[in-house]
Amino acid sequence: MNEKIGVYVCECGPNISERIDIDRVLEEISSAEGVKVAKKFGLLCSNDGKNYLADEIKKEELTHLVVAACSPREHEQTFMNVCLEAGLNPYLFQLVNIREQCAWMISDKEEATRMAIKYIYAGISRVTLHKPLLKKELDSIPDVLIIGGGISGIEAALCLAGKDRKVYLVEKTESLGGMVKKFFELLPYQGSNLAVIEEKIEQVQNNENVEILTSSEVEDVRGFLGNFEAVIKSKSNGSETKEIKIGAIIVATGFKLFDPKNIPQYGYGKIENVLDALEFEQMSASGKILLKNGNPPKSVALIHCVGRNEKGYCSKVCCLYSIKFARHLQDKLPGIDVSEFYSDLCLPDKADQDYFEEAKKKGIHFIRADNLELKEKDGKINVEYKVAGGKKDSIAVDMAILAPAMVPSEDTSKLAEILNLPLDETGFFKEVHEMLDPISTPIEGVYVSGCALGPKNIPESIIQSQAASGKILSSLIPGKKIEPEVKVSEIREEFCTGCQTCLSVCFYGAISFDEYKGISVVNEAICRGCGSCVGICPSGAIRSKHFTYPQLYLEVLQALR
Amino acid sequence: MNDEYTPKIIGFLCNWCAYTGADLAGVSRIQITPSLRIIRVMCSGRIDPLFVLKGLLKGADGVMMMGCHPGDCHYQKGNYSARRRYVLLQKLFEDLGFESERIGLWWVSASEGPRYAQVSSEFSEEIKKLGPNPVREEIFI
Repeated sequence: MNEKIGVYVCECGPNISERIDIDRVLEEISSAEGVKVAKKFGLLCSNDGKNYLADEIKKEELTHLVVAACSPREHEQTFMNVCLEAGLNPYLFQLVNIREQCAWMISDKEEATRMAIKYIYAGISRVTLHKPLLKKELDSIPDVLIIGGGISGIEAALCLAGKDRKVYLVEKTESLGGMVKKFFELLPYQGSNLAVIEEKIEQVQNNENVEILTSSEVEDVRGFLGNFEAVIKSKSNGSETKEIKIGAIIVATGFKLFDPKNIPQYGYGKIENVLDALEFEQMSASGKILLKNGNPPKSVALIHCVGRNEKGYCSKVCCLYSIKFARHLQDKLPGIDVSEFYSDLCLPDKADQDYFEEAKKKGIHFIRADNLELKEKDGKINVEYKVAGGKKDSIAVDMAILAPAMVPSEDTSKLAEILNLPLDETGFFKEVHEMLDPISTPIEGVYVSGCALGPKNIPESIIQSQAASGKILSSLIPGKKIEPEVKVSEIREEFCTGCQTCLSVCFYGAISFDEYKGISVVNEAICRGCGSCVGICPSGAIRSKHFTYPQLYLEVLQALR
Repeated sequence: MNDEYTPKIIGFLCNWCAYTGADLAGVSRIQITPSLRIIRVMCSGRIDPLFVLKGLLKGADGVMMMGCHPGDCHYQKGNYSARRRYVLLQKLFEDLGFESERIGLWWVSASEGPRYAQVSSEFSEEIKKLGPNPVREEIFI
């Protein structure tokens, strides 16, 4: 054995030195096989400490480094950087955690010392089996695919398209604008006028760095951050397909409305003049708010929360647009009687409360009710309901407008399959973390923004698209190479029996089957190094770098010393 | 140190949830009996059933596997693989006549320092009741 292992124990101020007898530790381990030096230092993560370590690596010509200090989650990278600086491959280093799970957790100093020795022994025997892993660099494509030409997709396209970055904006329908374009106006605090949206559509259409592919759908996506390939199928050009190369993807496929026919008591599709919200938006946009018989309505019921209980979530925007409808009706048809039937009011933004109070002052009735049932009666719609306390009541109106829940758009599950993305229990795309990473997905380089993640208003959708764009702008810099994970799985061809069990556990699609060779193959650029395939391989053909079987086995043996 | 028997327990902890939870227990200065020796793996899905068997055959009195809660796996579904393997291991243990109580699987999140301390102490107590692992004297591999 020609190893020259250096073991350095950090005192971490009093944190370790007071709880563990470091001198005894050093005495014990200095005689371990391969150990050239065993020393202690006050605070290894300090600048002095880092310089000291780097000098030691060089002076002692160390081949391996073991640092006994804090959790690897704290300073593993710090010491790996020291190794790099001192010319030692950073993977020939092991950080042994004797602070969090030893000094701080075991009150008896002697016991803690004994445990620290065990942990350090494990580190020493493990490090001798470490292989110098090398960082890889891959060229990356800065271009971006945006799926969905609604307000989210448009905003992202505008943020991303530039001299060095092309954007492909794929839209299923014939035109851009999505749901927002179907509205007759926005809320007052959003500026009411739809011109701001039209302006954005125009900007994106005039941007020479955005290629707009309408009437098109994404058929297939392969690859990884920096190097994706997507197949886009055009419905208008006789099902022509086009292959594009991109570095990142934003999914902005939005939502559709819950079909009120699923709840028969609302009478939608059966009773005349029962509309859903989008139908009313378009009726208003046409300027003709009329009943089927051609007369303007004299009374209207606005029904909130259609499908809320069935879907199990609040859609956040319906209360406000229902108030918008009521006020619009009053403006256009003076003297009209408007009632809003709600179960809970959702007024989340700072301008919302005022908007609601004003509506009340203008004589719009707000009725908190449940068990609503709409019935046809003498050419009118009879709204039967129960108020708090269980009292039943009813009113007859000319028109009823339903506010259905927002649900995932048509092809969400198909797209989730193509992109290998998870959906949550509501059927929308699932973010990595609602609070900490709200627009990222488990697939690096693939982001979701807007209502594809769940109900949202326009400003929130725009914010998310700007956030997703920011992620891409900072991770996919034109001309800069990307560095994939180093501690990945590798399959040893000679042992692989081609059973493909590993394919079933790889969530990232990093393993494929080579039909010609009859074996599984890992794409190292996609692999994240979880090691699930290693744990499941029945023939032991897969090795996870830096967490190999012998390395972990030695840890087990040392644990049982 | 007292003369009471301290079992030897190996714990395979995933890097993202359980290991961080164990760190948190330390940061919170929760004191536990020093019977558990932690081995860090990136994901509970990496825990090869062989590690568990080898550990018990080489003298461990118990083996703990800990991963992220269902739905929280850093690698999305690795913990489900771990769970399936754990069930199989238990079956195997029963078939071989080993004490299946000597292995266990727990979900511990990064914020569950107290839970980490609790489950590891409870398991340690259970193993203490079972006494030293007879397998290491009976089986030679």
